[in-house]
Amino acid sequence: MKGRAIVAGVGESPYYERGGSPDTEFQLACLAIRRAAADAGIDVADIDGFVSYMDARNDPLRLAAALGLRELRWSAQPWGGGGNNMAAAVQLADAAVSAGYARNVVAFRALAQGQFGRFGQSRAVGRVGGEFVFSHLYGLLSPAQECALHTARFLHDHHIAADVLCEIALTCYANAQRNPRAIRYGTPLTREQYYAARWIVEPFRLYDCCPENDGAAAIVVTTRERARDLRAKPVAIVAAAQGLGPAYGVSGFQGRWFPGVFYRGVADTLWQHAGCRPSEVDVLQLYENFTGPALMALCEMGFCAPEDVADRVRADRMSGPDAELPINTSGGNLGEAYIHGFELVNEAVRQVRGESTCQVANVDLSLAVAGPGYAPGSAVLFGRAD
Amino acid sequence: MTRYLGDDWLLPALDAQNRAYFTAGELKVQACRACGHAQHPPEDLCRACGSHDVGPRRSAGRGRIESIAVVHHAVHPQLKLRVPYAVVLVSVDDAPGVSLLGNVVNGAPSELRIGARVRVAFEEAIDPDSGERLLIPQWLLDHTAT
Repeated sequence: MKGRAIVAGVGESPYYERGGSPDTEFQLACLAIRRAAADAGIDVADIDGFVSYMDARNDPLRLAAALGLRELRWSAQPWGGGGNNMAAAVQLADAAVSAGYARNVVAFRALAQGQFGRFGQSRAVGRVGGEFVFSHLYGLLSPAQECALHTARFLHDHHIAADVLCEIALTCYANAQRNPRAIRYGTPLTREQYYAARWIVEPFRLYDCCPENDGAAAIVVTTRERARDLRAKPVAIVAAAQGLGPAYGVSGFQGRWFPGVFYRGVADTLWQHAGCRPSEVDVLQLYENFTGPALMALCEMGFCAPEDVADRVRADRMSGPDAELPINTSGGNLGEAYIHGFELVNEAVRQVRGESTCQVANVDLSLAVAGPGYAPGSAVLFGRAD
Repeated sequence: MTRYLGDDWLLPALDAQNRAYFTAGELKVQACRACGHAQHPPEDLCRACGSHDVGPRRSAGRGRIESIAVVHHAVHPQLKLRVPYAVVLVSVDDAPGVSLLGNVVNGAPSELRIGARVRVAFEEAIDPDSGERLLIPQWLLDHTAT
């Protein structure tokens, strides 16, 4: 098995509805990091690196001081977009540890949308410039709207009925019913409720769009040599990949990039580096900012051909631990919590450790695919370290 | 004409790269004077050959709807009275590989179809600061197209 670095611990804060956290975003970040270190059996003062994404508010120097680190040797963030970089952050932690630049690197994301405001809202007044002028001027303002343009064309090209989007939402909600951490735990979703909900932007209804939440999630990445000293079962980072492409929005609508969610290049790199195929993956965490781009990422990553979508992408074939292809076993962005996808990283690790609330049997390979529709796409494949 | 999203909707902040697009009164797409490559959004150099000699080039303004997003939930307070509205993506016949966002100003969202032919039209606005006349590209369903 490839991969010199391992995931030694996972942790998260409680997850809250947007605005529901009694803690500040920075407090949530520190809590998740402390829990990940405790889970690993590593003294939090021995953490020597931080990686996040789109997270300038919780910067490594402030964290190092607040958590009492002895030394900070590594900090990094991948450029571009948002949740598309959740797996790229793990890749950067892996790179630092594998190269020996740091020994105990935390990758994390903290997000308190109650404290700091929401994504996808616009209050622009007067004028708009830069690249946004070519989209905002025409009322294309939010990720849901941008992703709707990709999804509408993808469904059209492959003669796929939009009903398939419902299957992804139902899967996430069904799995969340097994997970007490999940915000939607105890709140199942029915097909009737899905179709009764209002349109956000066609082809997305309310339940196609991820909610907004407060919370933080973190992992500790360390060297394989340390594995025997740790509390938890070590999990290998088998491979990780970032995929290039134009940044977002207007650039992504041009020529060969359209329609697409920037996962073709990620797939090529990841499968080549890992030396395996999608069919060998036991369980998949698939970032659903919106159901449509998640469906497209599933296809671009090689799990399903577009012509097979109607047959394979069904809640009864994806929900629960015994599904043919179990996806979003903790409930995902839609059902567990929207921590910008990092909750999916924790779940992918837990599946290898055998600690999921929707545990798939005999997991050797567990994949987390980050946010679709914004470049770079990224993905990380975890596996057994023994 | 009255603007599709209201006369109080956002105006473009003009710069060297977008001035022609929003003021010329004919469709102008950035192209490379060295190799002829057309590109959007504009860039400081040609993404095909690397030449720095790029600038606006006239287009006949005919195209095809490549996709449609019908917006029902307004994410901007000024658009609450405008929903539902449609944003279309239009490929431009004489600028291969280039697609432009816009609105179809002579058809309801429910009348729009992927593959429909469109031609450019212009919304007029006056820049309140400079007094400059803006002509913002939009699209008309082209019922005469074959």
